[in-house]
Amino acid sequence: MGWTRRWIIIAFWVVVACLGLPYWIWTTSIHRSHLPLGMMNSWAEGKACQMSYPLHIRLSAPDLGEQAGSLLAEGVMRRMNELTDLQLYTFKLSYNDSLPTSTERDWDLLVLLSEEQNTNPEASLRSWAPVLDVRYDPNSDTNTLATFISQEVRTVFEYEHESLTYLLNDTPYATGKDTTSSLEGKTRLDARTTRAFKYASMYHLTFSLFTSSASPSSWDVDEALNKYITPLLQPLSKISKFTINTQVQLHASFSPSIAGPMHDATSGKWLLQKTDLSGFVNAAEWPLSPSIGAGPTINFVLYVPSVEQSPLEIAETGGTSWLVPQWGGVQILNPSDMQSATLSAGDLEQVMLTFADHLTALVGLPPSPQSLALRLSSLTRERATSLILSASSTLGALARLTLKLTSISIPDSVAKSVDETIARLDQACLDLREGRFDSALSNARIANDEAERAFFEPSMVGQVYFPDEHKVAVYVPLLGPMAVPLVMAALKELRKLRAAKLKSA
Amino acid sequence: MRLLSLPTPLLAAISLPSLSDATHTSNWAVLVSTSRFWFNYRHMANTLSLYRTVKRLGVPDSQIILMLPDDMACNPRNTFSGSVFNDKSRELDLYDQKPDTPTQESAEGGDIATESETSETTPQIMPAGIEVDYRGNEVTVETFIRLLTDRWPASHPTSKRLLTNSQSNILIYMTGHGGDSFLKFQDAEEISSHDLADAFAQMHEKGRYNELLFMIDTCQANTMYESFYSPGVVGMGSSARDQSSYSHHADQDVGVAVIDRWTYYALEFLETRLNSTSADVRLGELFDFMTFDRVHSDAGIRADLLEGGEEAARNRRVLDFFGNVQGVDVEMGDGGRESLGDWRADLEALRRIGERTKREMGELNVTVGAGSKVSAREAGADRSVLPAMRVEGDVLDMAASTGGSGWLKKAIGGTSLLLLGAAWVAGSKMR
Repeated sequence: MGWTRRWIIIAFWVVVACLGLPYWIWTTSIHRSHLPLGMMNSWAEGKACQMSYPLHIRLSAPDLGEQAGSLLAEGVMRRMNELTDLQLYTFKLSYNDSLPTSTERDWDLLVLLSEEQNTNPEASLRSWAPVLDVRYDPNSDTNTLATFISQEVRTVFEYEHESLTYLLNDTPYATGKDTTSSLEGKTRLDARTTRAFKYASMYHLTFSLFTSSASPSSWDVDEALNKYITPLLQPLSKISKFTINTQVQLHASFSPSIAGPMHDATSGKWLLQKTDLSGFVNAAEWPLSPSIGAGPTINFVLYVPSVEQSPLEIAETGGTSWLVPQWGGVQILNPSDMQSATLSAGDLEQVMLTFADHLTALVGLPPSPQSLALRLSSLTRERATSLILSASSTLGALARLTLKLTSISIPDSVAKSVDETIARLDQACLDLREGRFDSALSNARIANDEAERAFFEPSMVGQVYFPDEHKVAVYVPLLGPMAVPLVMAALKELRKLRAAKLKSA
Repeated sequence: MRLLSLPTPLLAAISLPSLSDATHTSNWAVLVSTSRFWFNYRHMANTLSLYRTVKRLGVPDSQIILMLPDDMACNPRNTFSGSVFNDKSRELDLYDQKPDTPTQESAEGGDIATESETSETTPQIMPAGIEVDYRGNEVTVETFIRLLTDRWPASHPTSKRLLTNSQSNILIYMTGHGGDSFLKFQDAEEISSHDLADAFAQMHEKGRYNELLFMIDTCQANTMYESFYSPGVVGMGSSARDQSSYSHHADQDVGVAVIDRWTYYALEFLETRLNSTSADVRLGELFDFMTFDRVHSDAGIRADLLEGGEEAARNRRVLDFFGNVQGVDVEMGDGGRESLGDWRADLEALRRIGERTKREMGELNVTVGAGSKVSAREAGADRSVLPAMRVEGDVLDMAASTGGSGWLKKAIGGTSLLLLGAAWVAGSKMR
């Protein structure tokens, strides 16, 4: 009889231990994928990648001849790499006589030498090609020429180096020595970062025509955009993608929160106070919807005042356009006397040029050097760098987050994204160190997107804080009535067993 | 009445060293009422009052996230349908500024003299309209946490997201019924101070704010910010532990209390002291305004998370959180013209280059790419200037993680339950 009871109790306990317990553990455990925390942290701490930017400069001097040209290239290269204030770069110079074809390009700057009698050496940058034209006296010394060229090349990359150092500063990737120049330079870079949008792989450009009266009611915006904006977007689209939207809004009124323009009797102009400019865009009533799709919207507003209220100008400067940092640009177009219903592409020329200027500032194109092509490649390097920095800091944040919040689940997609991020970062870093900057940018962009996706995974929301008291409160009424007889029976039986043993002993 | 623009941080640094502590470039506000039903009229009035204030001080609607669980203006019990008041004088309709208020003509210009007169007599008007981002059943703890941490499925509209970055200051105002370390949402669920603290921690990790002002008007409000641990957060609450937070007064015609004490005085402060966006009022003054005599409970602050502690927090400008920072870069005089000429030449050249490359690409049909993997992803980059391009991207489902494997788990669970049941039945039959 004793054994039947024992068997029953044992059977109950076996069920609890072998079925109930694993079942409970299985149903209450949170799925947490394994993340390569060590790798993530090493990226976040800047140990996984050493930033450096090899620049390939090609020297071409049809008049110089192979021998002298190679010598000159070597001389320039030695001088460039001795520069201590451009330590992020390594320069590689090669000499090639033949003029390059335009489609293929494996250099970052082409130095084109041409002879010119009896002049001091002078240099100029081409605006739309990465070419530095150098004119020199054929009788001059190779050494002085090499020094001159290296000086000029240095000037070309000086600003970019400064802004790269600025980017790397205060991150674990900083090279140790703070070579950032003056306070003034820093303020300028601060202002530039403040003005430009954060990097996005897609920007939406919205061109809006707001008129305060009924005319002009249409504009030749297609033609104007094709003529003045699209050529600029073409090279920029290597860095980000763009979509274009346009709209026309008639009878657009000012926001009531600004004083509005005031008539200045002496000049016959209507003047806007500078302090009113930030409230000029009537955010409440003008349909400048921010939600076109993923990615930020860059707004370009063309405002045409009514004939009675024109010419409209900014009081302090007499200008008609301004830029709102990280938002867009505004331009006032004062109608000519013969008010027509349509603005032709010609009327829009100056407007579009201003917008092009604003656009470059808003996407973060560096203001120097003069050449647009060089500024673009500069931006490629800067964006690649900042994307690597941002992706690695996101990885660090994710690593810390998963350690801190132990109650949130980590789905497999996060682990996959993290792996992808790390692979892309490795690739981007390698690309950067080998001078493939376009490819570095696209890898860094994917890395950053994946890192963001991992961090902002929608299911990783720690919603309810469950302190231990709550758990007790949940389990006691559930398990208590069942556990008490089980435990009591087991104890009783154990005591009986011991008593029996004592008796027999 | 005129909005004076705030100087950009840069300008501020140069011209006004005393105000240079602004290091942010945008302002966001999250205003949450958490209770529904007519007798909680005051909570909606509280929230709308704050909404009016931030909007009046220039924060655009796209940067205000307003969460209202109920619609008092259209409640059948509302005698003044379409209106919500926060004072029994009913001078100010929070729901919509009616156009008959004598302030519109100033928009057309005119001279300053009359304007400054009107600004002394009438309250500063708010741009019309209320934009509610989350209403009714959408106001839940989950929504709120998701909003803060920005963990949304890809389909979530951007206008309903908190798109802040590390240079944004955020004002979070919450009101409702709460208790020790929790705030009730819609009588159905509650948010605990730990959840909030964790959400803020995640925001800080990802650089989603520069500084954050958390204001809460509820019973035992000060317990809500005690568990915060992320730097840069300043907490303000209406009442200490075991204290109630009281309503200010009731309107006999509306029939219910119309505003809570703490919000009432906060508002009184903001309305009287911040008449224009150039007002240099510090947070410390707002803290000090909340005396026990006024609020009838111990209003509290917590500032130790801010760099510099309470001293620094008291020295922050109120407008750093309630106003809008929008700097303006005005085109430089003559240099601008010259550069426009350059632009014309540049763009002309670029267009020619663009055409040429297009031709060459057509002839050669070359695809350039470094690695095969990369070039596949990159293929999209070339057609980037299409006017209306479809945005591709993985559409994330809310329940994505429990997709296929979830059903499998359920099936296994169900089967095991059935097996257990069968074993039990078999056991009882055997006997």
